[in-house]
Amino acid sequence: MSPIAVLGEVLAILALVVITIGVIGMFRMPDVYGQAHAAGKGGVIGVLLLLVATLTLGDWQIVARAILIGGFLLVTMPVASHVVVRAAAARGEPMADPDHLDERPPELRPGRRPS
Amino acid sequence: MTVEVIYTGAVIWLVVLMFACGALLARGPRPGSRIVALDTLVLVLVALLVLVSAAEDRTFFLDAALMLALLGFVATVAAARYYGEGGPFR
Repeated sequence: MSPIAVLGEVLAILALVVITIGVIGMFRMPDVYGQAHAAGKGGVIGVLLLLVATLTLGDWQIVARAILIGGFLLVTMPVASHVVVRAAAARGEPMADPDHLDERPPELRPGRRPS
Repeated sequence: MTVEVIYTGAVIWLVVLMFACGALLARGPRPGSRIVALDTLVLVLVALLVLVSAAEDRTFFLDAALMLALLGFVATVAAARYYGEGGPFR
């Protein structure tokens, strides 16, 4: 077994561990903002590690698609997390910490229902 | 031999994680949690497709993963816009 194959398997197992940590974080976090935090980081880093693990296979067809998927996820996942959290803030979903610092802009304050 | 055992265990574990995301989707007390859970479920499914593609040495699973990532992003943004703003184009 070549060392590069061992590296691929180690990366794949690491990816599974990171994705698992992300899902556990979604269970543990008390509000939407923490859940989006855990899911976004854990999920994206896990899938990226898995894609790097597939790069060790060396087939250029797989490599091209893996780079495409990785680049696309890197661009879109922050946008998706931001949109979800912004929607939750606009609908006034509460934060779990009672004395949190509220940095919402005026158009996202509760009381203004989205028309 | 051991490699096949590792791949089978990884696929089973990812399916378990998908069921966990489904439980979060059913549980989530507010719609924001449900949207986040749906997003993560699509992401775990993408990871599953990448893993199956590497195990079977077929590339069309990666095409499916790419399309699923695209669709998952659009679905997440549309759902969040419906929830927050009342419509996707407001």
